[in-house]
Amino acid sequence: MSGHNESILREPLITGKNITYAQITDDILLPVENKPNRAWWIGFIIALCGATLWVVAVSYTFWFGIGSWGLNKTVGWAWDITGFVWWVGIGHAGTLISAVLLLFRQNWRNSINRSAEAMTIFAVICAATYVVSHMGRPWLAYWVLPLPNQFGSLWVNFNSPLVWDMFAISTYFSVSLLFWYTGLLPDIATIRDRAVGMRKKVYTVLSFGWAGNVKTWQRFEAVSLILAGISTPLVLSVHTIVSMDFATSVIPGWHTTIFPPYFVAGAIFSGFAMVLTLLLVARKVLGLENYITMFHIESMNKIIILTGSIVGVAYLTEFFIAWYSGSEYEQYAFINRSTGPYWWAYWMMMTCNVISPQLLWFKKIRTSIAATWILSIVVNIGMWFERFVIIVTSLHRDYLPSSWAMFYPTWVDVSVFVGSIGVFFTLFLLFLRVLPSIAIAEVKLLLKSASEQSKMELIKDGHLDKEQVAEYIESLDKFDSVKQEEYAKI
Amino acid sequence: MESNKKYWKGLEELKNTPAFVENNKNEFAEPLPIEDVLSEAGLSTVTPRRDFLKALGFGLGAVTLAACQTTPVHKSIPYLIRPEEVVPGIPNYYVSTFKGQSVLVKTVVGRPIKIEVNPNAGIFSTGTDAQAQASVLDLYDVSKLKAPLLKKAETTWSKLDEFVKGELNKAQASGKKIRIVSSSLNSPSAKAVVADFAVKYPTTKHVQYDAVSYTGIIKANENSFGKAVLPKYNFDKADLIVSFAADFLGTWISGEEFTAQYVSNRNHKSLEKGKMSRHFQFETGMSLTGTNADSRIPIKLSEEGPALITLYNAITGSNLAGGTLGNNTNADKALKLVAKELLQNKGKSLVVSGSNDVSTQTLVNAINVAIGSYGTTIDLDNSNKRYEGNDAEFAELINEMNRGEVAAVFFLNSNPVYDATNSKAFTDALAKVALKVSFSDRVDETSDLCDAVAITPNYLESWGDANTYEGFYSIVQPTINPVFNSRQAEQSLLIWSDGAVQDYYKYVRNNWEATVLPAAGKTWNDVLQSGVVTLTAKPAGAYTFALSLDAVATSIANSSKALAKGNGKDTLELHVYESIPMRDGKHANNAFLQELPDPVSKVTWDNYLAISPKQAEASGYKEFDVVTIKDEKGTSIDLPVLIQPGQAMGTASVALGYGRTKVGKAGNNVGQNAFPFVSFNNGTLKYATVVKLSGTGRTDELAQTQTHYSFEGRNIIREASLKDYLKDPAAGSGNHHKHKVYDLWTTDKYEKLGNDWVMAIDLNACTGCGSCIVACNVENNIPVVGKDEVRRRREMHWLRIDRYYSFNDEKTGENVTEEKEIAHMSNLDNVSVVHQPMLCQHCDHAPCETVCPVLATVHSSDGLNHMAYNRCVGTRYCANNCPYKVRRFNWFNYWNDSRFDNYLNNEFTQLVLNPDVTTRSRGVMEKCSMCIQRIQAGKLTAKMEKRALKDGDIKMACQQACSANAIIFGDKNDPNSEVSKLLRSERTYYVLEEINVQPGIGYMTKIRNIDSETKEVHA
Repeated sequence: MSGHNESILREPLITGKNITYAQITDDILLPVENKPNRAWWIGFIIALCGATLWVVAVSYTFWFGIGSWGLNKTVGWAWDITGFVWWVGIGHAGTLISAVLLLFRQNWRNSINRSAEAMTIFAVICAATYVVSHMGRPWLAYWVLPLPNQFGSLWVNFNSPLVWDMFAISTYFSVSLLFWYTGLLPDIATIRDRAVGMRKKVYTVLSFGWAGNVKTWQRFEAVSLILAGISTPLVLSVHTIVSMDFATSVIPGWHTTIFPPYFVAGAIFSGFAMVLTLLLVARKVLGLENYITMFHIESMNKIIILTGSIVGVAYLTEFFIAWYSGSEYEQYAFINRSTGPYWWAYWMMMTCNVISPQLLWFKKIRTSIAATWILSIVVNIGMWFERFVIIVTSLHRDYLPSSWAMFYPTWVDVSVFVGSIGVFFTLFLLFLRVLPSIAIAEVKLLLKSASEQSKMELIKDGHLDKEQVAEYIESLDKFDSVKQEEYAKI
Repeated sequence: MESNKKYWKGLEELKNTPAFVENNKNEFAEPLPIEDVLSEAGLSTVTPRRDFLKALGFGLGAVTLAACQTTPVHKSIPYLIRPEEVVPGIPNYYVSTFKGQSVLVKTVVGRPIKIEVNPNAGIFSTGTDAQAQASVLDLYDVSKLKAPLLKKAETTWSKLDEFVKGELNKAQASGKKIRIVSSSLNSPSAKAVVADFAVKYPTTKHVQYDAVSYTGIIKANENSFGKAVLPKYNFDKADLIVSFAADFLGTWISGEEFTAQYVSNRNHKSLEKGKMSRHFQFETGMSLTGTNADSRIPIKLSEEGPALITLYNAITGSNLAGGTLGNNTNADKALKLVAKELLQNKGKSLVVSGSNDVSTQTLVNAINVAIGSYGTTIDLDNSNKRYEGNDAEFAELINEMNRGEVAAVFFLNSNPVYDATNSKAFTDALAKVALKVSFSDRVDETSDLCDAVAITPNYLESWGDANTYEGFYSIVQPTINPVFNSRQAEQSLLIWSDGAVQDYYKYVRNNWEATVLPAAGKTWNDVLQSGVVTLTAKPAGAYTFALSLDAVATSIANSSKALAKGNGKDTLELHVYESIPMRDGKHANNAFLQELPDPVSKVTWDNYLAISPKQAEASGYKEFDVVTIKDEKGTSIDLPVLIQPGQAMGTASVALGYGRTKVGKAGNNVGQNAFPFVSFNNGTLKYATVVKLSGTGRTDELAQTQTHYSFEGRNIIREASLKDYLKDPAAGSGNHHKHKVYDLWTTDKYEKLGNDWVMAIDLNACTGCGSCIVACNVENNIPVVGKDEVRRRREMHWLRIDRYYSFNDEKTGENVTEEKEIAHMSNLDNVSVVHQPMLCQHCDHAPCETVCPVLATVHSSDGLNHMAYNRCVGTRYCANNCPYKVRRFNWFNYWNDSRFDNYLNNEFTQLVLNPDVTTRSRGVMEKCSMCIQRIQAGKLTAKMEKRALKDGDIKMACQQACSANAIIFGDKNDPNSEVSKLLRSERTYYVLEEINVQPGIGYMTKIRNIDSETKEVHA
């Protein structure tokens, strides 16, 4: 995809001096080919404890029944579906980055797509566990699949949004997995070529006999594009369908036509926040500052402001429509959200999702690693509360005041959720150890055209507009991986 | 001699050919092809080896599969010879009597499973109370004794008889007294048995006492009219009812019967005739009756007497002293209005009082004479025989025992160690009695101190009779053989008194054949079928009142002075009362009753201290704060606070019947015993006292099924005043302003053929008593979940009764229903209440149906919303999407989980289950099925009889239990059915009809008989 020189005005996507193709491979495969460091072990043990907690809590639920959760006759869903929607939402960034940004030829995606896609897959796995575990009789979960059966003429209910959900999530998971794995093939082959012994055998099988010839590369590109085409509508459809679980109901606060776009925006919002949370740590610990640069961080922050603002507008629109509809149940539902017994959850959501992301308008903040990392976590806390507010505060006071009730989580509710974070991180940390966290092949494409060193050469060649060069050098200020003094010499 | 004969087997042998000789060497005449098979070629053929492997594979697989599951062994013992009348699947019905209510018992393959109404039973044919509905569970109570006890060890009846007779003979020889202590015994045969016993042992006396006593009324009638009886009250003949703390729709004397009478003047039929009675209630705590009153005025206990004096003075123009109400101006205004209306409605009104004070009841008699109630609304000549207890006799018994004069005491259906006012004094006195025998089915508080427990069967296993009213007799007949080695108390007494007839069945029959049957001209078999005998009622006479009331007024004034010691802060007047679920505590081990929410407070599994919202502010307590309640005698208990709108300021209420310690697993240590707060003075028990409250710093959350009390101005409750209703029957129903309904499927309408099952519920008839809830629980095998689960809001009731409060603003006169506005009101005394039974609405556009991913809930062609338990995977989406929140989820395996051992976790109690309704496992959604098993049974019966279904053939369990007939079920497609007519009424509206779910249950507006004058009272 390269060969041409990129405009000097564009910020570099790879920084550092004397970066070679071999250097890239070495840098990225460092965690895969070496024994894990202390930081990894600490993280992994904590994550594994979380995953164990999940196993305990879910087994407890299966053994004793859903009654171990804090649900009641009025609030039939709470932390379970909150967690489900939260994880599905987080999964959205991966597909957006890998598919939509590929179609739009946003090359900066090359550094982050691999991790984002892995995150997507693990998040969808976490979401899927909720689909099964929230059922009263999880051993019959397969009944929601339209399988030929001998129960008579029993079939699934195609009117039910839960059936749509099942199709949406399973399609999303399989396409994402396919896309991710296809992208991994050349990189697995790279590992294979450098590995010995048992590892070589394993990676040989996993690489599907990747030979690296021109035909293979050509087909690889074609498949990537086709899969991107298939995935793109999924970015919109999955969360649209998840939102229909609520939007097609009759419950005030759920029965809202704005939900599909609002949920999709929220999903991208939370997904990018999660990518930032993970990669800001990963680039430091794994020493990948040259590949995941401040440009990437800032770009993702810009997406967060955009989607966060869309979500904010949606929140306000909901209120306006509740007033404008003249429906007293609808009006009460929204007044109750902001001033009722769960007012704190609502204002938590508002603060985390709408107010605090506005700080990213300040360049200082959106280029500060610490601030970004904290905000990315705040956003995901806010997005969890958004789903909690939608689900619990709508249900707990609906039509008949006689049934109004409060929801109090039990230790099992909390453990299943905290545990699912443990499962997620366990999977992600294992991923970092066995597969390259950055798409090696795709990053290499950028080295000749969009790296700091290639631009340095252009500057040294001296055919460039001075003002543009000055502007370029100034833009490098924010990069923590760029040494400014070298430019001072020029 | 050896025989030389030789028998040959065939001609071949005879001929003995060489070929035969050769062949005869071999076992088989023709050679078997073994060699061929075993030959090289045979073994090498492909087929046998593959066949062998196939057989091996199949065999191994089959054996493995068969070994996978251990087949459970269910021991079932078939009838060797099936009794003629028992057909599995077809229930048999027997008439019987529960506590004076004639009932019909449904039995299936020999076990009673449901109590229904006896259609022949006249006054009891409309419905039953919750106790009667729940009583079937008592039969299967595992806490009962299985054999009689002697000195706390199991024994045989012969040994027990020997012991008791020996002791009785000793008692007789000593000339000491023998006492039979019972609660009111309304069985003529049992009374005859006691009389026979007294003939054999002449020192015997029968002491009747009731934990909740009506001695005051009986004594007052004796004083006033020379008739020591409880009168028959005719609420149906009263156009104006004024009650002073009498909970006559709930616990007072005969609630289920009064409900039927009361509602007949207020229900749809009566309203259509333009008629509705008017009901004023002056009371301290919020009673069920108070919630139904048109105008309810909270008064302190100490104001009850003065209020009656004021009323008497206002009616008769006399000038009795003591009629000052202090600063309760509302009560003053109300009494003036009531006096005026009583005088306008002479002969058509009724004044009742819940007091057990003789003086107070004497004054009530005087008022009723003045307004001409006797002979119309009060009938002294056909008296009520349900309660005959005499508090003074019981008090005297303790003295007798203390003096060592009593040698033997028998307890029959009574438990004084639990429910006597001074349990300690009673226990100490009891220790001085040589022979103590309890007729009880379990080791209860009293039986525990007795020498012998002669265990008695449940009424469903007994013979007997009841005489509820003068001239109204009903039969008790067994519906099952005694399950344990029990013997009826009457039979024991017959045996111990060496009676001529020792079989109680024969005794009852002889008794009836000698007395009741000849008078009624009926035979014994007639009675066994119809259950009741009604003799011609005597004409009710009018009575005059001649006593001087000065002494009465002084006594009343003194009592009220003694009570008026409250300081409005921590010293309050305490009212102890019978709660509707628990009554006097005799059925405390009945899990259905423990989980039946109190109709007013919606609290289950506990009693509590009810105080008004403003009182809570003044005393500095919040809801669920545990406070110590201590009276002047030093009795103290700790109970959580419940904030009860409508409770009079300066007062508190605590329910009796809780705090049992020896009743069984479900009922032990539920709540606290409030009987010690009952006091005995002036010859009767008093249910009022003064207590001091002190905080404990602890909190204890009560298990309520409803926690939000206001309906937030939503049009789910629609009501109108009688005045507006008379002008426009659709007043308040919203039927004049219907929205146009838009439908996506206008061209594709389903034609509804056959039946369309629907319901109509008259909010003006429903009193909220909760009997339907228990009936539904029993009929549909609904699990009891226990206190902790109710606290988590997980009760399983398919049918609930929503109770909403609204408050009338004294300034604007408007009805305030929104929580936020109520919080700013300064006066919360003027509260109106509405009860709304809520169950699955069987919506034609059911939101639950579209969301179920597996089609576990679907619509039937006859208008029902079905629930296929076996298909349910438990996503709970349907419950979330139900706007009425009537779906119930099985959070646990409530009937088979040791953590929920309320009642059903044993095989014996599981016999109570209705075999026509499947039990639900964990993880499955359930809800009202419109008693689909009853619909099916009704359809089948009609089909077998080759006829069409008639309106009324099928009755829902809830409908059947309802004394008020507030629930009508039927076919909407039959334009002449009762339900169709009701649904066409202008009063009918549908809850949440605006979201177009097209519910199948119509509600009829609540009508209140209020006008500017009643509003003025509260201004």
